[in-house]
Amino acid sequence: MVLAIIAVVIVAVLLIAVWQFNRLRRFMVNVDEGYAQIEVQLTRRADLIPNLVETVKGYAKHESAVLEAVTNARAAVKDADTVSQTAAADGALTSAIGGVMIVAENYPDLKASSNFLQLQEELTTTENKVAFARQYYNESVRALNTALVTVPSMFFAGLAKATKREFYEVPDEGHRLTPDVGFS
Amino acid sequence: MSVSFRAQESKNKKKTVMLLFFMFIIVVAAIWAVAQLTGNGSFWVVPIAVGIALIGVWGSYWSSDKLVLKMTGAHVISHSDAPLLFNVVDEVRIAAGLPMPTVAIVDDPAPNAFATGRNPEHAVIAFTTGLLEVMDREELQGVTAHEMAHVGNRDTLVMAVAATTAGLVAIIADIGLRMTLFTRRDNNNPILLIVSLVVLLLAPIAALMLRSSVSRKRESLADATAVAFTRNPTGLRRALETLDANSAVVHSRSTAVSHVWIESPLDGKTKSMFDTHPPLSERIAILRTMEQSGPPPQ
Repeated sequence: MVLAIIAVVIVAVLLIAVWQFNRLRRFMVNVDEGYAQIEVQLTRRADLIPNLVETVKGYAKHESAVLEAVTNARAAVKDADTVSQTAAADGALTSAIGGVMIVAENYPDLKASSNFLQLQEELTTTENKVAFARQYYNESVRALNTALVTVPSMFFAGLAKATKREFYEVPDEGHRLTPDVGFS
Repeated sequence: MSVSFRAQESKNKKKTVMLLFFMFIIVVAAIWAVAQLTGNGSFWVVPIAVGIALIGVWGSYWSSDKLVLKMTGAHVISHSDAPLLFNVVDEVRIAAGLPMPTVAIVDDPAPNAFATGRNPEHAVIAFTTGLLEVMDREELQGVTAHEMAHVGNRDTLVMAVAATTAGLVAIIADIGLRMTLFTRRDNNNPILLIVSLVVLLLAPIAALMLRSSVSRKRESLADATAVAFTRNPTGLRRALETLDANSAVVHSRSTAVSHVWIESPLDGKTKSMFDTHPPLSERIAILRTMEQSGPPPQ
């Protein structure tokens, strides 16, 4: 009888351990996938920049200041290593692109060119994708970090080699004030 | 009173579980009634009914992506066919953390959209040409998020379960009633007999009402989940208002696929227990309260 009870308890503990281990591992995979998605979209956006610069140059030769700003911001994103650095560079690039779009308003020929319209749509969607990827990543980080401080999952953190992750926060909220790219 | 999308989500999920439980009760009641009417000797009816219901609905569930595409005449598109639409779907699926679904277009002037497929890996989201004409980017994003919510919430599966049990009850009741005519009974309680007959007559209707009710709950849930994806109730609210203002109805008025569309092609203007969708005005009102409860946390 006692043996049976001990066996049941051991099996129950093992089941909980497996369940919690898998849960933590799944959260970690979600976080990694979320971050990979952010990087994919940031790269995509960086790849659009040279094209944007060339297109704008064709119609607005004298706007070298904004174009230089956007090129520099692009380089900063590529150089960033940590989550917070990337987030900061990402925010700067968003506002730099916003600056180019404001300038473009003054050149009707540029705004009407099919190349620019296509670029505008691609920039809009990439911008949204970065935002959504960020949102998904932060949700995943929140789920993982919560599991690491709540019972019973916190007891299995060491076993699953799970550690707290950093939120992806764009530090300068000012870029939100720049006009939306596209939507017209 | 602030209605957050999270509260809406868990409320709707609980209600679905309750409804599926009632569905189970109806099946048990129908089986009991058959046993009362025909005696235990003819109990073989039940496994046959289960078999028929399972084969029919699960077959269509398994190949739902191909089947619904055929029935609605939708054709699959790629990025170059409609870059904006394709981009919007890609954005929303990133927010949902789901794989990219197959995107399709139905040539129909009535604005509508649907999602199907047995799992997120086999998901199809289709839009009518009419919808693409009347909606701007924000509205399109709202509609896409609603459809992506159906994919994420596995609504094809939930509706297949609901349809299977409703079909099962109909078959059991049908066979049971027919067999009563040919079965000899000795010393049966007349009251029990009448109760069994009434159960068999009412069970299919109750099952159908429950199926519609499950469908309505899943629609409300999809609206709440859509807001969880985009964090923007305004887009979906504006999209539903556009649908409300547009009286055109999808031509393929098939009952079999009516529950898959974002706006029901069958439900009339009056509220009925058999509607597969909640009234648009009600859905718009809920989204409005979500908008008023302020910007959700980042």
